[in-house]
Amino acid sequence: MAEEFEPKIVAFLCKWCSSAGSDLAGVSRMEYPPNVIPIQVMCSGSVSPLYILSAFKKGADGVLVSGCHPGDCHYIKGNFYARRRIALVKELLEFVGLDPERFQMSWVSAAEGVKYTEIIKDLVKELKPLGPQTKLRRNP
Amino acid sequence: MVKLEDLRQEAAGILKSGKVKYIIGYTRGTNGFRPIPAFIKDPDDVENLIWNPACVHNLTKFIVDEKKRLKKEKNPDKRPIGIIVKGCDSRAINVLLQEKYINREDVYLLGVSCEKTGVLDEKKLNKKLKGRRALQVDFKDNGSWLVTTDSGQEKIQAEELLADRCIECKANFPVVYDIVFGDKSLRKTDRPFQSVENMENLSQKERWEFWKEQLDKCIRCYACRSACPMCYCDECVVDTISFAVEPDTPAEEKAQKIKWIEKSPNLSENIIYHLTRAMHLAGRCIDCGECERVCPLDIPIRFLNKKMEKEAKTLFDYEVGFDPGKPSLVSSFKDEDPEDFIR
Amino acid sequence: MEKILTKKSFPEWAEKLKAYKIYAPILDDGTWSYEVINKAGDIDLDFPNTVQAPKKIINPQREVFLEFGRSDEDTPEIKEVLPEEKPVVIFGVRPCDAKALTLTDMVFDGDSKDVYYLKRRNQTVIIGLSCNTPPSPNCFCTSVDGSPHSEEGFDILLTDLGDRYFVRSLTKKGDTLIDLGKALFTAPKANDKKELTKIHTDAEKKLKREIKDVAKIPPKLKEMFESPLWDDESMSCLRCGICTYLCPTCHCFDISDEVTSVSPFKGYRIRTWDNCQFPDFTMHSSGHNPRPDKASRLRQRIMHKYQYFVERYDHYQCTGCGRCVSKCPVGIDIIEVLNKVRDYG
Repeated sequence: MAEEFEPKIVAFLCKWCSSAGSDLAGVSRMEYPPNVIPIQVMCSGSVSPLYILSAFKKGADGVLVSGCHPGDCHYIKGNFYARRRIALVKELLEFVGLDPERFQMSWVSAAEGVKYTEIIKDLVKELKPLGPQTKLRRNP
Repeated sequence: MVKLEDLRQEAAGILKSGKVKYIIGYTRGTNGFRPIPAFIKDPDDVENLIWNPACVHNLTKFIVDEKKRLKKEKNPDKRPIGIIVKGCDSRAINVLLQEKYINREDVYLLGVSCEKTGVLDEKKLNKKLKGRRALQVDFKDNGSWLVTTDSGQEKIQAEELLADRCIECKANFPVVYDIVFGDKSLRKTDRPFQSVENMENLSQKERWEFWKEQLDKCIRCYACRSACPMCYCDECVVDTISFAVEPDTPAEEKAQKIKWIEKSPNLSENIIYHLTRAMHLAGRCIDCGECERVCPLDIPIRFLNKKMEKEAKTLFDYEVGFDPGKPSLVSSFKDEDPEDFIR
Repeated sequence: MEKILTKKSFPEWAEKLKAYKIYAPILDDGTWSYEVINKAGDIDLDFPNTVQAPKKIINPQREVFLEFGRSDEDTPEIKEVLPEEKPVVIFGVRPCDAKALTLTDMVFDGDSKDVYYLKRRNQTVIIGLSCNTPPSPNCFCTSVDGSPHSEEGFDILLTDLGDRYFVRSLTKKGDTLIDLGKALFTAPKANDKKELTKIHTDAEKKLKREIKDVAKIPPKLKEMFESPLWDDESMSCLRCGICTYLCPTCHCFDISDEVTSVSPFKGYRIRTWDNCQFPDFTMHSSGHNPRPDKASRLRQRIMHKYQYFVERYDHYQCTGCGRCVSKCPVGIDIIEVLNKVRDYG
């Protein structure tokens, strides 16, 4: 019997909001798919395009970047820069022919444990029919 | 009309008065009609300067080189450098000024207008000649150019040989200069990003097949990076070994330097390299086309950078290289920046 | 042996070589390059010269030396990776590119033998096409002890006589290939040989560029290490590396380790082309770089080809293919530089 494909999602979560939000989901015993590999970064503004491309190169089926809501950034302006930069990366990846659903961004605050679980659930649901990501993946 | 005599006279004048260290311009080369960059120190040598639609090179790269050379000299000659700039090249100067890489007093800009033509794209010429080599090109007639090959001469319409970037150019007249030659006869273009839009209208599958085929060819010669005036980082993310290393840097630190992009020229690494480069040039690339011109494998690198330029305009209303006082694209933001893609 | 093969029969002969992996020049979007051919009918020998030299087939841009990893018992595992066992035929190699292979042979098959290079070299059969007219306006093979019909480095040399090829087999490997298509070949007649000689002699006169008195250059170079000539000539160099990557005789390489996965730990030791025109080529791990500027790197390139290699191997390390002249984005012309060197002072 063939095993169902389980997408591997790499999530870059900002320490002060999104990562705390994901912790809240865990502590509150909310159920959500275990497909996420969370990487805590200090601020969504510190996520370099290289991290995202590197994740895809190493075989991630989906990448999520999540930060504080605009106006709530712990470092005041970091997420505004992220908003611009991630928009550009998203456009570029789509231009080259990567499925647009594979790379997403979200605002998740420290209190939004529920929102975090919904984002992950939706993401896994969108990625399952797409299958494994082979385009940017490095084949040895 | 760009009067070559006036250009030469101005060049001789500023050399004689010692106003500039030397002048960077174009002169005849030894490979057929192709001009080459010239570095003129002696006022008598200005007779070697030429100007025609084959003067494709972006000479601002040599300004960047000069700055790097000056850093190492003990008693540097701080006089400005005279440089001949086309419309696109002048915007490169603006970006360098914007990033405070050079000061305005470091350069003396002799602007030339592309007027009704633009520059010749040699790849289009080769395709048109179907493998025969062009030995000479006569540009006297603006509308059609006379090409001499091994097997004779033929007249080809200038429009068929114009570089794509010239067809989409919004600024064929220099935007910054100390003195300018030629008329401000702007070529009208109402679809500045036509080629990018054509690519966007292809299906996702077609786009991937295109880029897969093109980027697989890449041999990572880094000619695109070397030719680009904006790629001036002393330590490029691709060259992990050149990261700042001193005699007392401990071995563990050297061993742990992250290699984001490996040396192997396979498709995956090539894509990471080119996409990273496009991101690093977002809001900085002025589409001089050098990257595509120098690529030995004819990879259409310009497209990626042009896409970034289009998004800069569409999403953030940002135009590259017109205002040196503006902050750069990725180190600024507006409250109204689009966020419809964010959950 | 010498034979005649009509152009009509040529695809039939190529069909008989199915056991080999066949490379031939292909025109793709205006650029000629050596690619694998699946249909014999696709071989088109009516081409000038390819942009990339055939050295990429024998000395590829990236090759794996060994695989390493960590076994389940946490012990290191190392596995040697040798090139694929597959005989190869390359059609349509020009004399300059074949001569270049004999020059890289001196390095890789000299005092120490490079196992990887030799494995590929020995299983490759080189079928050449002599130049009736110079493929490029920048060819200068006759100036560097070469010729448009030189036989060095070939297993078989074809000369185009219009509707047929004059086929000259130079090695046992070449003989084997001809035997595979025995019936298609005929014996050459007297006027075939006359035409051959005429084409060859005429071809030598058609080259448009030359370096006069090239023998004066190596001793001159020896005195010019500190000359300001290199600064002037390298001013417009972009250090793009195209000259070296396209050169059929350049062969410098870099060996590095690539870790492709951390858990389980796995990686490769690979060899990739390196380029003396890159600023990091001579970067030491202390941070010191003996060739930090373009002048020293241009000097290195010229002196390696026309002085160091001559001293070591008694040959110029340049076969006059002209690619560096045609493809340099800023028009640095090795012929001009060498002429200036010869006449310097």
